[in-house]
Amino acid sequence: MTDLKSKVEKVPKKYKEMGGRWLTSSIINDEVDPTCHPLGPNNKLVFAPGFVTGTRAPSSGRLSVGGKSPLTGGIKEANAGTPFSQMLARLDIKALIIEGKPKDDKFWVIKINKDGVNFEKADAYLGKGLYEAYPLAFDKYGKKVGIAGIGVSGEMKMTNAGVCFNDIDNRPSRYAGRGGLGAVMGSKGVKYIILDDNGTQPVKVQDNEMFNEGRKTLTNALLTNDGTKPGGMLNALGTAALVNVINEAGGLPTRNFSEGRFEGAAKISGEAIAEAVKTRGGAGRTGHPCHPGCVIGCSNVYPKKDGTEHVSCIEYESTWAFGANCGIDNLDEIAEMIWQCNDYGIDTIEAGGAIAVAMEGGLASFGDGKKAIELMKEIKKGSVLGRALGCGAETIGKVLGVSRVPSVKGQNMLAYEPRAIKGIGITYATSPMGADHTAGYTVGAEVLGLAGPMDPLDTDKGGLAKMLQDSTAFIDATGYCSFVTFATGDPDSFDALLQTVNGVLGTSWTVEDTGRIGNEIIEIERTFNKAAGFTEIDDRVPEFMKYEKLPPHNHVFDVSDDALDKVHG
Amino acid sequence: MIEIHFYGKLRKYSDQKSPLHESLIYLEVNKRDTIQSITNRLGIPSIEMSSCVFLNGEYSSLTRKVKDGDRLGLFPDNMLLLYRQHFKVEE
Repeated sequence: MTDLKSKVEKVPKKYKEMGGRWLTSSIINDEVDPTCHPLGPNNKLVFAPGFVTGTRAPSSGRLSVGGKSPLTGGIKEANAGTPFSQMLARLDIKALIIEGKPKDDKFWVIKINKDGVNFEKADAYLGKGLYEAYPLAFDKYGKKVGIAGIGVSGEMKMTNAGVCFNDIDNRPSRYAGRGGLGAVMGSKGVKYIILDDNGTQPVKVQDNEMFNEGRKTLTNALLTNDGTKPGGMLNALGTAALVNVINEAGGLPTRNFSEGRFEGAAKISGEAIAEAVKTRGGAGRTGHPCHPGCVIGCSNVYPKKDGTEHVSCIEYESTWAFGANCGIDNLDEIAEMIWQCNDYGIDTIEAGGAIAVAMEGGLASFGDGKKAIELMKEIKKGSVLGRALGCGAETIGKVLGVSRVPSVKGQNMLAYEPRAIKGIGITYATSPMGADHTAGYTVGAEVLGLAGPMDPLDTDKGGLAKMLQDSTAFIDATGYCSFVTFATGDPDSFDALLQTVNGVLGTSWTVEDTGRIGNEIIEIERTFNKAAGFTEIDDRVPEFMKYEKLPPHNHVFDVSDDALDKVHG
Repeated sequence: MIEIHFYGKLRKYSDQKSPLHESLIYLEVNKRDTIQSITNRLGIPSIEMSSCVFLNGEYSSLTRKVKDGDRLGLFPDNMLLLYRQHFKVEE
């Protein structure tokens, strides 16, 4: 972006078989000085689709965005489900790397089609909410393009600015949200990246027969599994179905991580969202997919009382962050704040965390949704308070003198309390990404079984935590949605997933290779973080969780430092 | 007496069926009762339930004994526990 020049490079042999998070983390580790300022000229921003993105593999429309995070100060991979991912793959772009920094304050649109790259002025789109700015761009460039963009928060380089992508209906609603990569994009003067895949060829598949065999088996597994099937948990109730489950387990962080059960949980759950869609009708939807080719469809469109569209979509993490974590039990208020996040270009989890910390700091009472909405408006205004809130929970916590900030490596925790669900606390503490639940995820990870039988209380050996992080890192490289792993818990279905990958790439990977690759990804990230200045001290949960008992189970986080250090060896 | 919280399609087993509130019933239990004997007594076929069963907030097997004052949470076949690997099944 220093000279507004682009170039096309042949894929180096080293990266030939990489994709998604494997590729973004490798490029960042290879090309970015770990001690650079994340908003300076030496950071880079990398967009990479997964191995099978853009093919007929089911639920595979995801891409990774990588860089040095201004929020954590370490390496970051943020992941989004969006048609943009498939267009990037069809344009035969393995990785799109943005580097340098303009000498002035101007912002640009980077337009890419099969013929090349153009830079155009972005003035018409600046300073506006994305619900206004995205339609303007679709009007200019055509309704079938893909748009990656930043909101005003990214223009102002707030450390909670995410990278926004369009959904299948062209809403600015799918985010590579965590870690402030929108601020990195803003620091490089990029407002939009617009893809036009008109006239492109389908994504190359090396072995069609193998690919199709795997695709059919995997699709069938997804269509029959209780989690992913039509009418199953994700399709009928969305990810927010988990609100009632995790609440019953006493692990739903409430009022800035002070309790594990929320009395208003039922009112903010997936069941409540489905009920509102049913009774209000109109534009309301459940079972909404985030990209073409998804057979699960876990997203939703939440309607206002009059049936008009309020926001898409209300995820588990979002309804928790603005709901239970803020003591708010009103779905309409939660929907409004999610809309604000989409409009201003920020991550809902960190934003909800910031509001909860702001409540603890006295800017509003817990449960006061109206005041929370007013506080959020400061972010769009760019007031000093807004900028502090837009930089996330740790920043606003410092500004207000709050000692109970539930973050690891500067990133706010998620909708699972570490004191109630210790294994997730281990993931929060030891993931190179900072507090991140999707880092240690794969539901079907037992099939990998590389570390032997898994005992959930085996916290001293860290085997389970490492295996989960490694297997998730592999999935993050494939382009598959994490949720396909609901259906890959048995060896045949997991093999089918591998067949699709091997079919596309022409590789012969086995289950063991997925563990090897996952481990390589994590090691690359830890290498970067270490050079960036991270030590074991950064692989810890916040101090207060070690002595403050969390109701209803009244546990503290008592996993030893030694056990945490053993996770990665 | 124990309190039983129903979720999703299982709310039909309580009088309060709206998903916006607690679908809760109270039940007398005896010394020999387990989670399974209670669901049998209530006439809930196993096919309607998922393995997502919580007793006092602990992920539990159906053979686990219940006692006065306990809280039981029952989820239907299409509501699952994510991160199941992190939960030890209490017997």
